[in-house]
Amino acid sequence: MIEVKGLCKSFVKDTPVLNGIDCRIEDGEQIVVIGPSGGGKSTFLRCLNMLEVPTSGHILIDGEDITAPHVNLNRIRTHMGMVFQHFNLFPHFTVLKNIWFAPAQLKLQSKEEAKENALKLLARVGLTDKADSYPSQLSGGQKQRIAIVRALAMNPKIMLFDEPTSALDPEMVGEVLDVMKELAESKMTMVVVTHEMGFAREVSTRVFFMDGGVIAEENTPEELFSNPVNPRTQQFLKSVL
Amino acid sequence: MDFLNSLVSGFEKTFIRDDRYKLFLEGLGNTLLIALFATLMGVLIGTIVAVVKVMHRQTGKLRLLNAIGELYSTVIRGTPVVVQLLIAYNIIFAFSDRAVLVGTIAFGINSGAYVSEIIRAGILAVDIGQTEAGRSLGLSQGATMSKIIMPQALKNVLPAVGNEFISVLKETSVIGYLGVVDLTRAAERVITRTADVYFPYISIALIYLVIVCGLSWLLKKLERRLARSDRG
Ligand SMILES: Nc1ncnc2c1ncn2[C@@H]1O[C@H](COP(=O)(O)OP(=O)(O)OP(=O)(O)O)[C@@H](O)[C@H]1O
Ligand SMILES: [Mg+2]
Repeated sequence: MIEVKGLCKSFVKDTPVLNGIDCRIEDGEQIVVIGPSGGGKSTFLRCLNMLEVPTSGHILIDGEDITAPHVNLNRIRTHMGMVFQHFNLFPHFTVLKNIWFAPAQLKLQSKEEAKENALKLLARVGLTDKADSYPSQLSGGQKQRIAIVRALAMNPKIMLFDEPTSALDPEMVGEVLDVMKELAESKMTMVVVTHEMGFAREVSTRVFFMDGGVIAEENTPEELFSNPVNPRTQQFLKSVL
Repeated sequence: MDFLNSLVSGFEKTFIRDDRYKLFLEGLGNTLLIALFATLMGVLIGTIVAVVKVMHRQTGKLRLLNAIGELYSTVIRGTPVVVQLLIAYNIIFAFSDRAVLVGTIAFGINSGAYVSEIIRAGILAVDIGQTEAGRSLGLSQGATMSKIIMPQALKNVLPAVGNEFISVLKETSVIGYLGVVDLTRAAERVITRTADVYFPYISIALIYLVIVCGLSWLLKKLERRLARSDRG
C-alpha cells in the first residue's frame, strides 16, 4: 500500500511543481495518472521511489515512511520497479544480462538462478530469441518489453510507469500495452503515467487527473471519463479524446 | 652530389659510428616506456579523481576527497611539467636516483589531472537515464557508477585517452632534465661527440613525427570501429 501525505516538491525555491498531494493506493490497484504537460506527473511518480527527493510531505510504503532520514532507499527500490519513457536499457549488456544483472548484483539470487529467471521472463514477453542481442539491435517496442521484464526480475510489489509508450512508433504501442495489461491482470500494483486513454479506461481501477501540482480530480475511469466534475478535467479530456 | 655526400656522412656519424644507433634505440625505448606507464597511471588517477568529483557533485558526499581532487587539479594544471619533474626528482623522491621511475611517476601524476577532466566529461556524457535506471533497480550509487556508468564512459573516452598518450609521449622529451636517456637526450649525447646539430635533431623530430602519425592513424581506426559498434 502506498500512502502519500502532503507531498510537495520544488526544484526552484518558491515555485512548487508538486503542491500538496494526498492519496492512498491499495495493493493490487492500477492507477493511471493523466494531465497536461508540466502538471507534475513525472515528478510525482519519481518521488514515489525517491528518484526525486520531496521538499516536504511523506510517502509511506506498507506503513514505512521512505522520506524519513536514514531509510535504506536501495532496499525500498528493490520492491518498486520503474519503467521509463526512453527505456534506459544498459547498452553495454546483452538483453539477458540487462535482466539478470540487478538481482544477481544485489545477491537476491545466485547468478544461475537470475539467468534462469531472466530466460523465463523473456519467454513471457516472447523475446527468447533476443537473449544474446544488444539493446541497440532491438525495436522500440522490444526495448520497452525488455525494460518491463528487467524491472519484474526484481520481483517488485509495485510497478511505476512513466509514459512507457510515448517514445514508440504507433504500431509498437499495442505490444507494450499488452504486457502491461497482463501485469494488471496478475494484480500487480501499478501507477502508470500515460496518454493512452484506452488503457486507462480498460485497465485502471482509478484515474488521477493531475494539474498544477495537485491531483485535481480522481475517480474510477467510468466516472472520470463520462462525468468529469472539475472544469480543468473537462477541458483536458476534450482536448485529448 | 655534395648534399648527398653530406647526408650519407651525417647518417654514418649519427647512427653508425660507435654503434650510436643503440643509444637512439635505448632512448626510444625509454620514451615509449615512460609514456606508456605514465598514461596508464594517469588513467588510474584520472578515473579516481573524476569519480570523486562527479559523485560529490551528485550527492554532496566525499567532501574531503573532492577538495583534495580540486587542489590536485589546480596545482598540476597550474604549474609547468618541467618544474613538477624537478620537484619530484630533487625534493619529493630525493632519496631515490631511479630517474626513469621517478620521471614516469611524475608524468603519471601530471597526466592524471588532464585525464580526470576527460573522464569526467565522459561520465557526464552518459545519459542520466542510465543512472536512474540503475538506482531504480535498487543498485547502490557505487555499483551504478562502476558497473553501469563507467564502462560506457570509458568506452566513450578511449580515443581521447589515446590522444593523451600521444601528448605524454611528446612531453617526455623534457625528461633529459633528470639525466634519463630518452630519444631527445640520445640526440644530445651524440651531438656532444659529433658537433653536428642538424642530423640528430632532424632525425629525432622525424622519429617522433612517424610515431605520432602512426598512433593517430590507429586511433582514427579505433574511433570508427567504436562508432560502428554504437550503431550496431
Ligand atoms: N530536474 C528538474 N529541474 C527543474 N525543473 C524541473 C525538473 N524536472 C521537472 N521540472 C519542472 O517541473 C514541472 C513538472 O514537470 P513534470 O515532468 O513532472 O511534468 P509532467 O506532468 O510529467 O509533464 P509531461 O507530460 O511533459 O511529461 C515542469 O515545469 C518542469 O519544467
Ligand atoms: Mg512527464
